[in-house]
Amino acid sequence: MRWNRDQRLRAGYLVLLGAVAVGQVTPQPAAQAPQAPQSQNATPVPTHAPALLVMIDPAHGGTDSGAALNAAFPEKDVTLVLARRLRRELFGRGIQSQLLRDADLMLPTDQRASQVNALQPFLYLVIHATSQGSGLRLFTAMLPLGEDDRGSFVDWQTAQAASLARSRLVQEQIAGSIHSTGFPVRALTAPLRPLNNVTIPAMAVEVAPTTGDISQLASSDYQQMVCAALANGIASAMPLLTKAGRGQ
Amino acid sequence: MIPRTLVVTTALLFAVAIGMGIYVAQLRRRADIASPRTLQAEHVKPPAAGPAENVTVWVARDDDGKLHAQSLTVPLSSERQPRADDLLRALLNIYQSKDSPHRVGAGAEIREVYLVDPGLAVIDLNAAFADGQTSGILAEDLTLVSIVQTLSNNIPGINRVKFLVDGKERDTLAGHADLSGFYAVSSIGALAKQLSEE
Repeated sequence: MRWNRDQRLRAGYLVLLGAVAVGQVTPQPAAQAPQAPQSQNATPVPTHAPALLVMIDPAHGGTDSGAALNAAFPEKDVTLVLARRLRRELFGRGIQSQLLRDADLMLPTDQRASQVNALQPFLYLVIHATSQGSGLRLFTAMLPLGEDDRGSFVDWQTAQAASLARSRLVQEQIAGSIHSTGFPVRALTAPLRPLNNVTIPAMAVEVAPTTGDISQLASSDYQQMVCAALANGIASAMPLLTKAGRGQ
Repeated sequence: MIPRTLVVTTALLFAVAIGMGIYVAQLRRRADIASPRTLQAEHVKPPAAGPAENVTVWVARDDDGKLHAQSLTVPLSSERQPRADDLLRALLNIYQSKDSPHRVGAGAEIREVYLVDPGLAVIDLNAAFADGQTSGILAEDLTLVSIVQTLSNNIPGINRVKFLVDGKERDTLAGHADLSGFYAVSSIGALAKQLSEE
C-alpha cells in the first residue's frame, strides 16, 4: 500500500510527538548527579575516578581572566600555576589528584560542575587568587533558596546541599591544620558557583599575598608555601572524606 | 501597467519612511546618551526629609577584610520603601567618601530597592557599581553582605533578597559572587557573623 502526501505528513507528526513525549516524561534516576546543559567548549573528561581522587580546579581560564591582579599576571594564570603545584604536593603525600583544566581553557561553571559530578572524586577544590587581604580563605557554599520539592530530581542550584555538612567538616579540618602552622587562614561561606552545583564535598580556596604586595603571588617560594600548607591540610582531612564513603 | 502617479507616490512614501526611521534612530541615540546623566542626577538628590534616627549600618573594610557594625545618625523616612533607599544611600555615602574603607567604582549607585511582600527585597544596582567592584570572593562577599545586613536589620520583615544590575539578572557581581539566585537573609546573617569575627 502506498501512502499519499497527507498520510505521510500525519505519520511524521505522530512520530515527532511521540519522541517529544518520551523525552519529557523519562524520569532521571534519583541517584544520578545533575547535569548542566552541554557547552561547546568541551575538554577531555576522564571517565573514571581513581581511588581517593582530589579534583583541583584552577578557576577562570580562556577569555575569562578573573581578577586583574596586574597586567602581566591575571588570576587565571596564578590559579593554574597554584593548581599544578598543589597536584605535585599532594602526589608527594600519596594523594592522587587531577586538574579540571591544565591549559588556558574557557570552561563554564556548569560544565565544571558536570564533569566533577560525573567523575565523583572525594573532594573538589576550586582555586582563586586575589590582591586583597592576607593569606588563605577557605569557602564552602552558601546555597541560594532552592526550588519547590522536585521529588527524585536534584535541584541544580542547590545540588551541594546533601554534601554541605561534610564540606564544612573538611573545611574546618583543613583550616585548623593550616592555622596550626601560623599561616593566616579564614573559614567562610560564599555564594559561589560551581560550589552550589557540585554533589560531593566541595570547597573554594582564595589565595592572597601576606605582604600586601601582589607580586608575592608570582613568587615560587610563596606558591610553594601555600601549596604545601594546603596539601598538609587536605592530607589531614582525608580520613573524614573516606570515613563515610565516597560521594555522600 | 502600473500608473506613473502610483509609482511616484510609492517612491515618495518610501523616502519619507526611511527619513523618519533615520530621524527616530537619532532621537533614540540622543535619549540613550542623555538618560544616564538624568539617572545620576536623580540619585544624588538629598535624602528624604524625616527625623534623624540612630541606626546601625554594616560597613565592609578592605584593610582587615571584615564587616564592622557602625552607628550612624541619619534622617530616615518612616515608610518602608523610602526608608530602604535612605539607608542604602547612607551606606553608599560611606563607601564613596574620601577615606572610603571599601572601594566602590566611580558612579556606583543603588538604583532602587523594591520591597515585595511577603518578605522579598529586590536590590537593583547600576552597572557602574558592578563594573567597579573589586573582583574577588571575599571582596564581593563583603559588599553584598554589607548591603543586605544594613537593610534587613533596619527594616523588619525582609527574609529573602535578590540582586539585579541595571534592572536585569546578572551571573556574578564581579566574576565571583553568584547573583543568579534568591538568598535567605538568615544565610547572609550567618555569613555576616563569620565576616565580623576577630
